Amino acid sequence: MIPFVAKRLWNGLLTLAALASLTFFIMRLAPGGPFSRNRKISPEVQANIEAAFHLDEPVVRQFARYIWGLMRGDLGPSTRFRDYSVNDLIASGLPTSLTIGFWAILVAGLVGIALGLAGALRRNGWTDYAAGTIGVIGIAIPIFIIGPLMQAYFSVYLGWLPVGGWNEGWRSLVLPVLVLALPNIAYISRLTRSSLIESQRENHVRTARAKGIGPTRVLWGHVMTGALLPVIAYLGPACAALITGSILIETVFALPGIGRFFVDAALNRDYPLVMGITLVYGGFLIVFNILTDLVRGWLDPRVRHGT
Amino acid sequence: MTSHGLKKILSGLALVALLAAGAPAFADDTLDRGVGSEWSSLDPQVNFDAAAAWILADAYEGLVNFDSKGALIPGAAESWDMSEDGKTYTFHLRDGLKWSNGDALVAQDFVNGILRTLNPETASEKGYYFYSTIQITGASALANGETADTATLGVTAPDARTVVVQMETPAPHMLQLMGSFQLAPLHGPSFAANGTATFIDPALVVSNGAYVIKEVVPQSHVLLERNPTYWDAANVKIPFVKYHVTEDVGTELKRYQAGEIDITYDVPLAQMDSLMTDLPGQLLTFPSTYLIYYSFNLSLPPFDNIDLRRALSLAIDRDVLEGKIVKGGAIPTFSYASGFDPAYSGPQIAEAAMTQPEREALAQELYAKAGFGPDNPLKLSIASTVAEINTKRANGIALMWKKVLGVQTEVNAQERKAWLDLFYTDDWGVFADNLVGDFAGPETFLSYMRPSAEPGYDWVKPEYDAAMDVAAQIPDLAGRYLALAAAEKILLEDYIFAPIAIEPYRHLVKPNVKGFEPSVAGYHNSQFMTLD
Repeated sequence: MIPFVAKRLWNGLLTLAALASLTFFIMRLAPGGPFSRNRKISPEVQANIEAAFHLDEPVVRQFARYIWGLMRGDLGPSTRFRDYSVNDLIASGLPTSLTIGFWAILVAGLVGIALGLAGALRRNGWTDYAAGTIGVIGIAIPIFIIGPLMQAYFSVYLGWLPVGGWNEGWRSLVLPVLVLALPNIAYISRLTRSSLIESQRENHVRTARAKGIGPTRVLWGHVMTGALLPVIAYLGPACAALITGSILIETVFALPGIGRFFVDAALNRDYPLVMGITLVYGGFLIVFNILTDLVRGWLDPRVRHGT
Repeated sequence: MTSHGLKKILSGLALVALLAAGAPAFADDTLDRGVGSEWSSLDPQVNFDAAAAWILADAYEGLVNFDSKGALIPGAAESWDMSEDGKTYTFHLRDGLKWSNGDALVAQDFVNGILRTLNPETASEKGYYFYSTIQITGASALANGETADTATLGVTAPDARTVVVQMETPAPHMLQLMGSFQLAPLHGPSFAANGTATFIDPALVVSNGAYVIKEVVPQSHVLLERNPTYWDAANVKIPFVKYHVTEDVGTELKRYQAGEIDITYDVPLAQMDSLMTDLPGQLLTFPSTYLIYYSFNLSLPPFDNIDLRRALSLAIDRDVLEGKIVKGGAIPTFSYASGFDPAYSGPQIAEAAMTQPEREALAQELYAKAGFGPDNPLKLSIASTVAEINTKRANGIALMWKKVLGVQTEVNAQERKAWLDLFYTDDWGVFADNLVGDFAGPETFLSYMRPSAEPGYDWVKPEYDAAMDVAAQIPDLAGRYLALAAAEKILLEDYIFAPIAIEPYRHLVKPNVKGFEPSVAGYHNSQFMTLD
């Protein structure tokens, strides 16, 4: 168990290092720079500004400087948001993204599994159709359509919830969490339903029934453990994606999360900020993949011993 | 009344109380303003965008200020005198000025503000106001890092209440650059002790404007509170101002409709028409100092041919373009530097007086004269940014060039940073250009076009430089404007660009907000607004 985790963490670290190097150099291939000439500034002053951020140095030297900073936990200054370091900005945006992501994954997991369960147990009944309809809607309608529609209805028309911003506590959370959870509810419910149906037909389940075990115990003790494996496999990366924030959600609902910083940073060639957020995303993805594997191993010994 | 009925009423009341507690707190004591996307900086010597300029104009006051209509009024300085040659301005500060922490505000604080802007270590993009827009003695050498001797700067504080600004050439527009956006004072001890945290950390902020910063959340909002030490605090009516970041204009509109924002930063283009009818009197558009023009690459044949440039300029039906295609409320123009200051009546291109069909006929003639025709059509590409308003305009112009002249145009839409860099590569034929003036007057535009000022245009014209030099020596505004108009005539006659339109500001303003009025330079200090 411990060697397994240590090995995975070491691999993760190598992946992060590769990610950092690739991002660093690829980003510099894009035309334009953080201080692309504002056409009124004298070339000398322009050069001074670039020198203040070490942009005048050879790229390899800049890379060495960056890696050295990284090892000390310093992600550098932001060139787009001049008042802050990248560390400051991530510290300010990440909690918002994490909060929304956490609630969205919780809602998506609970509602998704419940709907899937309802669908599988009463196959072709009205609950199954209702769950299926929600699923199709969730997958088919993109966030940038359903988000503004919900804002128009719940906020502008009914006045129940704020349109956007991060000023009203839980009320600011409701719409973004719902919209972010919706497509995931859809995926999770479909996944749960199909793997439950499949799982019900398996040999060990039939054996359990033959032994005379009651339907409830069969469901929770035998069917569910197997059926949840694909769901867990989906949840790992989904958690990372949701928790690190959805760029679209943050834009549509004007939320101060790191997803917004990411877009702004990329468009404005804020190299350190793009790097910082990429590494945070990468780190979360790696950690959640490891966690997923651990949970799957716990649910299914084959995973643990097979690898 | 039965106890049952009483219970019902009580529970009803409790419900109402609950709802009220949960209801959004849009108290009338707070003005909620939209600022579009996140500000670049709240450091008054570094910030370089219009959105932050609003926040900073509330938090800091320069030597001069701008009223609700953007007109120049005394600020921290109650009066000023100009020397006879127009090169020296002496500002007299009000008596008893204070910083928000109670410290006395002295003339040297303004000198320190300029010094910090020019200091290469600050890495500020704003120093050009002092070495280019106006030429303060010694500013250029300090900004370029040629000297670090602050005593060489032509801005001095002979006593605690006097600021003297010495310039190389007379510049009647210099007063426009003495407001908080260009020249905020610097509280030396705070900056020395806390560095740039003194501009963003509410516990450390020391400012001198009508408001002080109470709360800053990146990508979310800035909250300001009335500054009791401000000299005119008695006339500041609104206790709190909150600036909200909302990147998406569609979301901002909904926040406005839901009552979360009182004044929007912008309006979705596609909804301009419907808002005009749905929210009568709330949509406010007025000209800004944002000029849109299409530049021709003079060093790339065939654009070195003036007949062709003229034909392309004349073939654009500016009224149809802005009124029917772009529909963003921009004001069509045949001029370059007119339309910003009513006192300036500059020239227009010669064909401005013709009707559009006449212009188009002439365009066809000139196009043929340049050697192009149906068998030999011109092929060109317009370098534009990907912003919807810009691609709409570029496609509209391409269509007109196709219809009137048969030109085959391709729109090369680039991301903004790539577009900025493209300009200097010379790898473009027609550039969807724009210029935001530093103040509401002609000179900011005309001096930018000096061949010596902007190497990107490859335009060689000693006559224009000479005419601008003449204007630069005239201290009085009326005389200077005449000389500038003469220079503009030389500029327009070469058709090195096609002037298109003046971009407007577009805001939605709630009916209960008073004092938000058209201002060409975009100054809208909250201190002059009220909430009914």
